[in-house]
Amino acid sequence: MKLLTANRLTDGLVLWYRDGDDLSGWTENAVDAARLDDEAATALLDVWKARETLLVAPYLVPLVDDHTLVKREYVREFVRANGPTIGQTALDTAKLQNRGEVF
Amino acid sequence: MYVYDQFDHAVVAARNAEFKDQVARRLAGELSEDQFKPLRLMNGLYLQLHAYMLRIAVPYGVLSSAQMRTFAHIARTYDRDFGHFTTRQNIQFNWIKLADTPQILEDLAKVEMHAIQTSGNCIRNTTTDQFAGAAKDEIDDPRPWAELIRQWSTFHPEFTFLPRKFKIAITGATRDRAAIRVHDIGLQLTANGFDVYVGGGMGRTPHLGHLIKSGVPGEKLLSYLEAALRVYNRYGRRDNIYKARIKILVSALGPQEYARQVEEEWASLDQAKIDAPYAEIARIKSFFPEPDYTAKAFDAAALDRAKAADPGFARWVRNNTLAHRRDDHVSVTISLKPTGLPPGDASSEQMDVMADLADDYGYAELRVSHEQNVILPHVAKADLYDLYQRLDKTGLSSANVGKITDMIACPGLDYCSLANARSIPLAQDISKRFEDAGYTDKIGDLQIKISGCINACGHHHVGHIGILGVDKQGEEFYQILLGGRADEQAALGAITGKGMPAEAVPAAIERVVNLYLELRTDESERFIDTVGRLGREAFAGALHEPA
Repeated sequence: MKLLTANRLTDGLVLWYRDGDDLSGWTENAVDAARLDDEAATALLDVWKARETLLVAPYLVPLVDDHTLVKREYVREFVRANGPTIGQTALDTAKLQNRGEVF
Repeated sequence: MYVYDQFDHAVVAARNAEFKDQVARRLAGELSEDQFKPLRLMNGLYLQLHAYMLRIAVPYGVLSSAQMRTFAHIARTYDRDFGHFTTRQNIQFNWIKLADTPQILEDLAKVEMHAIQTSGNCIRNTTTDQFAGAAKDEIDDPRPWAELIRQWSTFHPEFTFLPRKFKIAITGATRDRAAIRVHDIGLQLTANGFDVYVGGGMGRTPHLGHLIKSGVPGEKLLSYLEAALRVYNRYGRRDNIYKARIKILVSALGPQEYARQVEEEWASLDQAKIDAPYAEIARIKSFFPEPDYTAKAFDAAALDRAKAADPGFARWVRNNTLAHRRDDHVSVTISLKPTGLPPGDASSEQMDVMADLADDYGYAELRVSHEQNVILPHVAKADLYDLYQRLDKTGLSSANVGKITDMIACPGLDYCSLANARSIPLAQDISKRFEDAGYTDKIGDLQIKISGCINACGHHHVGHIGILGVDKQGEEFYQILLGGRADEQAALGAITGKGMPAEAVPAAIERVVNLYLELRTDESERFIDTVGRLGREAFAGALHEPA
């Protein structure tokens, strides 16, 4: 399972692919991102890589299951999905990490 | 302050018009991201984790009140109401829209600012002592020389595509507050000209700069720098990004051989075509006169009474003011390190207040320090209590300059796409751990510097206590370095003990600090001196919880 993500060209904000073939099918809310099987994810990535007037640097985020990121990408994608963690203590965030959920 | 002439205005206006067109072409799909990326970077525009980040140059850290107000305007109008002052004496805005960037650059140009030389493999914004022109221990004012270097280096046709970025720092005081030994070129201004240190730097392979030439006359500075850059540009490792900084070249050649080649190159140059004529140096110096100091009656007894009545003020005066060349003035550091908040951040309201205070008490001038604070370089002692009270109303009266909570921290993985670990939440935790003013003052001078990756934007190599965030199989881990310092006795810290998760770091630092308090000879022996006397290993055991 994978998620497809990118930054929006106009403002750089993080987007997640939900469905469809235009920008309205992308969401800022990672919870709503489509869980894609590997084959579909790769095909969609190729499609969106070619649409540079909308997005910057699309890529795939691997998942262990519907909610859990592959460990190595965890912190970076957690921050991308949730925004800066500033304001939380490191301990709060560590607890969140232990929960093992992305969003 | 330097004031733009017609050439400066024309250069900035032309660059802004060019970039406006490039942004329009990117948005219209006429430029691909691969084509556009180097163009936006040359204008200080990065794409970070969450949004575009615009890094604006504050040449040698010197700001007018009008320029600070423009930062407040940008924060309020185009960003999320705050900005982040950086270790390059610049400012970054973290939530910029691509389409807004041309207008932001136009707004900046109105106050003689831009985002040139804040990215790319060029000569970056030259940095210097934040107390330049004010400090009592200053030999000569480095600002005119920094301005001369700015004019020489901006769009220098030979040095726009160097093997890697290139950073120059200058100090004109006996105490090095500009960290010159960890710059590609560090310049020490002396009574006999410039001492030139080359090959310093941090990143994954830290080096201290080597003295390759003493007493370069000011009027020959540019040709000597040109020779130093030429040798680097010719032989720097363009084949390997990790070995492309000048420190690697100087290390490979050896400082003596590098110096010999620079000397040879210098001799071959037509120096008269490169060096600024005396008249030009004099013209630039004329922009940095002494302020028209206001004669204000200073009542020392009244100041003492205010300190006695307000212990917070007394502590602030003790920690946040520095001796000025005039006895009736001081330099004031406005700490941007309040307990529990991101180091170096300021809201638009705070920026406006700092601008107002500069107008009312500081001859309309401010500075940004590489320690991520803001300075009013010239404040009459008679105004100190009024100034403090107004700072206090806006959350700007933290009295911790030079203390353990006056940390440097890079943006880390909360913003930066290069980072491996977060820096700011850790800084927040440490500042809460040490928020007790009495405890912090007892500890005395201690510099913690935190980087979220090996690129070392948080200067962890030269922190008395350095903290380096690393990715350990998908988890954030932090390595602790002890014994670094960036001053005139510059030294690189060394990793001490084993890495640890974020939640273990504040307690580990507290154990180290408490051990220092036990081991120091007396209150005058600073943490860094005790580490120097006893060695880092004396503290290694304290980093980890006793089994």
